[in-house]
Amino acid sequence: MGGDPQGSVVWDALHKVGWVGLGGFLGANARYWLGGWVQHRWGTTFPWGTFVINITGSFLLGLFMALVTERYALPQTPTLRLVVAIGFVGAYTTFSTFEFETLSLVTTGSLLRAFGNAFGSLLAGFAAVWLGVVLGRVL
Amino acid sequence: MKMEGDAKRVRVYIGESDQWQGKPLFTAIVERCRREGFAGATVLRGIEGFGAHSRIHTARILRLSEDLPVVVEIVDRPDRIEQLLPMLDEMVQEGLVTIEDVHVLKYVAGASPPAS
Repeated sequence: MGGDPQGSVVWDALHKVGWVGLGGFLGANARYWLGGWVQHRWGTTFPWGTFVINITGSFLLGLFMALVTERYALPQTPTLRLVVAIGFVGAYTTFSTFEFETLSLVTTGSLLRAFGNAFGSLLAGFAAVWLGVVLGRVL
Repeated sequence: MKMEGDAKRVRVYIGESDQWQGKPLFTAIVERCRREGFAGATVLRGIEGFGAHSRIHTARILRLSEDLPVVVEIVDRPDRIEQLLPMLDEMVQEGLVTIEDVHVLKYVAGASPPAS
């Protein structure tokens, strides 16, 4: 391995593709199924599925990042970051769906809900990530 | 083909992702009607609805926009529609089929397409 710097760069990249992909596979599916369940429960007048997904995802990211950057330094940390933070949470939360559903609210005349979704998601998401970090620090 | 006067309209309410032998059901119905020489068929898109499973489908929420409703409408003489119904019976395994009387005021084809 030592005499092949180019090879190890490629191998390293492939490793990352795998880890990010694993997290992404799980995160996207978690979003699909959990978001779907929430949406079916709480009706269609407001995009609750996406809202809950983004808030919980923000919380998870705050918690995870505080734990691995401020509390623990394990040899597995870089890989865990790829799987959990970049892969899982990255695929679990969704900005594009949030914007699309805000647009749907606007085009169907629910302007108040559109603003509610936009500002609510932003503020609640921020509170969630902050809470996650705070929790990560005391755990 | 001349079709003026009393006719029947069949409406088939299905989902856009319903399949028939490897292709969308609405496409299969239209193609079959065309092959069998019916007067015409039109597929309309629904943007929201629910059916026998009481599951809401809507274009407004991404997660619920799979399988939006689709309606296939066929208008033809009553005797032709009689021949359509068993076909639909076979192809539509899940959905709603209705039939109603209509009166055709006009069914014109305009100038014929150039001979190929």
